[in-house]
Amino acid sequence: MSGAVDGGPRAGRVAGPRGAGFALRVDGRDVTAYDGESIAAALLAGGVEAFRTTADGEARAPFCHMGTCFECVVRVNGRSLRACLTPATPGDDVGRVDEREPDERRAG
Amino acid sequence: MTAESRTTAGVHDLVVVGAGPAGLAAALAARARGLDVVVVDEQQQPGGQIFRRPSGGLTAAGHRWPAGYPWGPDLLARAAASDVTWRPRTTALGVLRGEAGTPLRLAVSGPDGPDALAAHRLLVATGAYDMPVALPGWTLPGVVTAGAAQGLLKSQRVLVGHRPVLVGAHPLLLLVADQLVAAGAHVAEVVLARGVPGPAEAVRALPAAPGHVGLLAASTAAVGRLLRAGVRIRTRTLPTRVLGEDRVEGVELRRVDSAWRPVGPARTVAADAVVLGFGFHASTELARQAGCATRWDGAGGGWVVTHDGAQRTSVPDVLVAGEPAGVRGAEQARAEGHLAGLVAARDLGAAVTGRDLDRAHRAVARARRFSDVVQRVFAPDLTGLTALATPGTLVCRCESVTRATVERTLAANPHVSTANAVKLECRTGMGTCQGRYCEATVGALVERATGRPMDQVGPFTAHLPVKPVPLAELAALGELAAAPPEPAPSTPAPCAPVPATHLP
Amino acid sequence: MTRQRDVVVVGGGLLGCATAHLLAREGADVTLLERDQVNRHASGQNAGSLHFQLEYRMVERGLEAARTAATAMPLHLDASARWDALVTELGPDLGPELGVARHGGLMLADDVATARLLEAKARIERERGLDVHVLDGAQVRELAPYLSPTVVAAAYCPSEGRANARTAAPALARAAVAHGADLRTRTEVTSLRRDGAAWVVGIRTQDPDGTHDDELRADAVVLAAGVWTRTLAAMLDVDLPVTVLALMMSVTQRTTPFLPHLVQHAGTRLSLKQTADGNVLVGGGWPAHLVRAPDGTPVHGARGEVVPASLAGNARAAVRAVPRLGELQTLRTWVGATTVGPDQLPVVGPVPGAPGAFVATGGSAFTLGPSFARVLGDLVQGRTPAVDVQPYDPRRWAA
Repeated sequence: MSGAVDGGPRAGRVAGPRGAGFALRVDGRDVTAYDGESIAAALLAGGVEAFRTTADGEARAPFCHMGTCFECVVRVNGRSLRACLTPATPGDDVGRVDEREPDERRAG
Repeated sequence: MTAESRTTAGVHDLVVVGAGPAGLAAALAARARGLDVVVVDEQQQPGGQIFRRPSGGLTAAGHRWPAGYPWGPDLLARAAASDVTWRPRTTALGVLRGEAGTPLRLAVSGPDGPDALAAHRLLVATGAYDMPVALPGWTLPGVVTAGAAQGLLKSQRVLVGHRPVLVGAHPLLLLVADQLVAAGAHVAEVVLARGVPGPAEAVRALPAAPGHVGLLAASTAAVGRLLRAGVRIRTRTLPTRVLGEDRVEGVELRRVDSAWRPVGPARTVAADAVVLGFGFHASTELARQAGCATRWDGAGGGWVVTHDGAQRTSVPDVLVAGEPAGVRGAEQARAEGHLAGLVAARDLGAAVTGRDLDRAHRAVARARRFSDVVQRVFAPDLTGLTALATPGTLVCRCESVTRATVERTLAANPHVSTANAVKLECRTGMGTCQGRYCEATVGALVERATGRPMDQVGPFTAHLPVKPVPLAELAALGELAAAPPEPAPSTPAPCAPVPATHLP
Repeated sequence: MTRQRDVVVVGGGLLGCATAHLLAREGADVTLLERDQVNRHASGQNAGSLHFQLEYRMVERGLEAARTAATAMPLHLDASARWDALVTELGPDLGPELGVARHGGLMLADDVATARLLEAKARIERERGLDVHVLDGAQVRELAPYLSPTVVAAAYCPSEGRANARTAAPALARAAVAHGADLRTRTEVTSLRRDGAAWVVGIRTQDPDGTHDDELRADAVVLAAGVWTRTLAAMLDVDLPVTVLALMMSVTQRTTPFLPHLVQHAGTRLSLKQTADGNVLVGGGWPAHLVRAPDGTPVHGARGEVVPASLAGNARAAVRAVPRLGELQTLRTWVGATTVGPDQLPVVGPVPGAPGAFVATGGSAFTLGPSFARVLGDLVQGRTPAVDVQPYDPRRWAA
C-alpha cells in the first residue's frame, strides 16, 4: 500500500469486490462512493481529511464512527446528518460545515 | 424482522432500544412468548457494535465473524427470521410521559421522520462506546477509537490509515491490530499500558467459563500473528501526545510505571492514524433521561444503570440489559437480554416458567464469572488516564474547553463540587455530543480537585432529546406523544437477511 | 460555631448570591447556605430574560388589570438600573460574567386586534416611565428580519435584553466570597428557631464521607430559597402560600449570530433569545410536570418531566415566529420551577411574626433579583427599602 505519512490519502479501501460505484458531490467536487458504504467511509477513502472546522479553525474528522461523537456531521441534501450513519446514495449533495463562516456555510 | 406492527390499540408490549446481543436476545425471548416487540437501532443492520457487517454491494467480499462468539450468526439469523418489528436507522430520543398510569412514549427519529412509540415496557440495551481519553492532539483528524477502526474495516472495508499506531489497555486492541494487518495496513506499533494477556490470564479465566476462553485465546493468537508480521508490541507504555498540524503525523510514547505514570523518555513513532482502545463507557443517557437510578462503576463503564437482579431498573416500566448495566462483554449482554425478555414477558402476563427464568439467571451468573475476571484484569487506571490531559488539552471536544479552563474554574470556586455545576459554568457537555465525550473526564477532574467521591460528583443530567433533533421535529414529537397511541402504518422496510454463505 | 453572624442567607441562587454579595460588600458578616450547588435550581434553569414590559397575560385581562400590573413598573425600572450597576460593582473580572446585554425586546403581534392591545399596553407603560413603542410590520421586519411574515406589529422596548443565567449567580457568589462572605454548599437548613435576640439555624452538611450537623447563630435570616420558600417558612411556623410553577425550556445548537433581541409573543407563550455563545434559548412559560409534596413544594431531587403538549406548543410557537429555528438541532430540554405569590405578585419583605427574618421570591425573580436583593439588604440593615415593595409584603396574608 502506498505510504501515508508523506501526505497522500490517509484512509484507503481494502481490495476486494464491490458493487456499483457512483459519485457524491462534496462541496462542489466529486467523490467516489460504493454501494453499501456510509458517507463517512466514502469521504475518508476519497481523501477528505477534515469533515468540519471548528470556530477556532481546527479540522475535525470522524472519531467514533458509531454515531456518538458527532464529529462527522455534514449537510446531506440540506439536512444535518451524521455521515457515519448515513448510507451513501447516488446524487447525494454533501456540504461540510465551517463554524468560522456565517450563514450558508454553517449548520442551520 | 418485519415492519408490520400488530399492537393493541397502538401500544406495543415491548420496545427495545439497541439491536446488539442484549437487545436481540431480549426481543426473541419476548416474541417467543407472544409479546409484540419493536426493536429500534441507529445502525442500518442489527448486530450492535460487536457484529457490525457490510451492507449492499460490500457484502460481496464476505466477512468474518468475530472470534469467541459462536452464537453470533445464529442469533442474527433468528432475529432476521422473526417477525419482531424492526426500525433501523432510527434514533431513540427519550421517554415522554402523559398522565400517570398511561404507557410511556419513546420519542424516536427515523428515515421517515419522528415517531412516539407507546409501550408497556422499554428495554434499554444501548450498549457502550469506546472510553474517551483526552490527551494532547486527540482531536486531530486520523485519531479514532478502536471501535471506529474496527467498524470501518468490518462494515465499510475501509482502513482508517495505512500506517496506524494502536494505543490502549484493552485486549480488543490486539484483535483490531490483527484485523488491520490482515487487511493490509502496516501497523507500526501496538502499545499497551499494562501487559499482554498471556497464558497466565487465560488459565485464570478457565474455571470461570470454559466456553469463553476463546476470547483470550483469540487475543493470544493475535499476538502471535502480529509478532510474525513484524509489528512491535510494547507494554507499560502510554501515548502522551498525538503529533500533527491538520492531521495525524505521529504519536509520542513514554514508558509508564505500574500506576500508569510516565517514567521514561518520550519517543516518537510516525503514523497516519492513531487508534485508541482503553476500554468502554456505558451508554446510559436514555436510561438516565427516563429516570433510572445509576451508580458509579469506574472499572465497569462509568455510570451504569442499577437493576434488581432481574434487569428491572428503578423505573417500573423500564428494563436494562447489557453494557448499560455494567460493561461486561457480549456474552453477558446476551444472557442479560434473554433474561430481560423473559422478565418483561412475565410481567406483562405471558407464560414464562420458573425453570426458564432459573436457566436464564444461571446463564447470566455464568457469564458474570468470566466477565468479572476480565474486568479485574483489564480495568483501566482512570487516574493515570486523566493525567494524560495537559492544561492545554481539550477536555470538551464540542465546545473546545481545555483542562486548564475546568481546573481554573474549580480553583476559583472551591464550593463547586459536581460535574453539573462545572458544565453550567464552563460549557463542558453543552455541545452536540451532549457530554458523552467529556463527562467522565470532567467528573475525574472534579473528584481530583474536591476529594468528593464520584457518587457525589455525579454525571451530567441527561435530558430529552438524548441525541440532537431539529426543533421542528421536536415539535412534531410533542404532538405525536400528546395524541393517543395509534397503530403504525405498515410500510415494509427492507430487512437484511443473513446470506446463507455466512452461516457456519 | 458559636460566633454570631450578622446574617445567614438561605439559598444559593441569584437572589441569595446577590443579597450575600450586597451585605458582604457593606461589611456585614454573611454566611450563605446552599443545599445543592450554587445556581443549581431556578436561577440556572431560567431563560435569563431581562424583560420590563408588562406580561401580555396581564393585558389580556383588560386595561384595568394592566394598570394594576403596571404599578410594579418602578420595581422593573429599578431592576433595569440595578443590573447595570452590578456589572460595574463586580469589576472587570466578574462584571462580564453577568452577561448583561441589551439589544431591545420585541413583543410580537400576529393580528390587528392584538396590535391595538399592544398600543394600549405601551401607553400605560410609558405613563409609568418605560421607554416602549409599537412598530408596524415594515418597521419590525427592518429591525428584525429573522421574524416571520406572520408578525404584523411588535412592541419594542430598547432597554430589554438578557443576562447569562449560567454564570450570573456564580459570579455574584464569587464576589460575595471576595468580600468575606462564608459560602457553604451541600449544606441544608434543618431547623430555624429563635433564641433570645438571635436566630439559630440548624444545618446538615454533606461531607465526602458522610454528613455532619451544626448550628449557626445570626442576627438576621434571609430566605432566598425559591420553590422551597414555603418549607423554610414552615420552620418558622409561618405559612407562606407561594405557588410553584414547573416550566420547560429548550436550547438549540450554536449558530451564527442572527437574533440579538429578546423576543416575546403577545398571546402565545414564547420567549426567545440567542446567547453570546450562539445557542438559541426557547422558553415562554409552558408548563411541565414535577413530583410534589402535598403542599405543592417540589420533592427535592426528583426530576422534572417535559409534558408532550408543551414540547409541541413551545417549539411550534418558536418556529412560527422565527422560521429558521426549525432547522436548528435541539440539544436539550429541561424543567425548571419558579414561584408566584398567591395573587400572582412577588413576595418581598419581613416574614410575618419572625423579627429579623426576611423573604423574597416570585414574579420574574431573575429579572428583579438585583432589586429584591437590594430591598432585602435594606431590610436586614434596618433601612427603608430603596424601592417601594409594600404591595409585596408577605404580612398581607398574616392572620
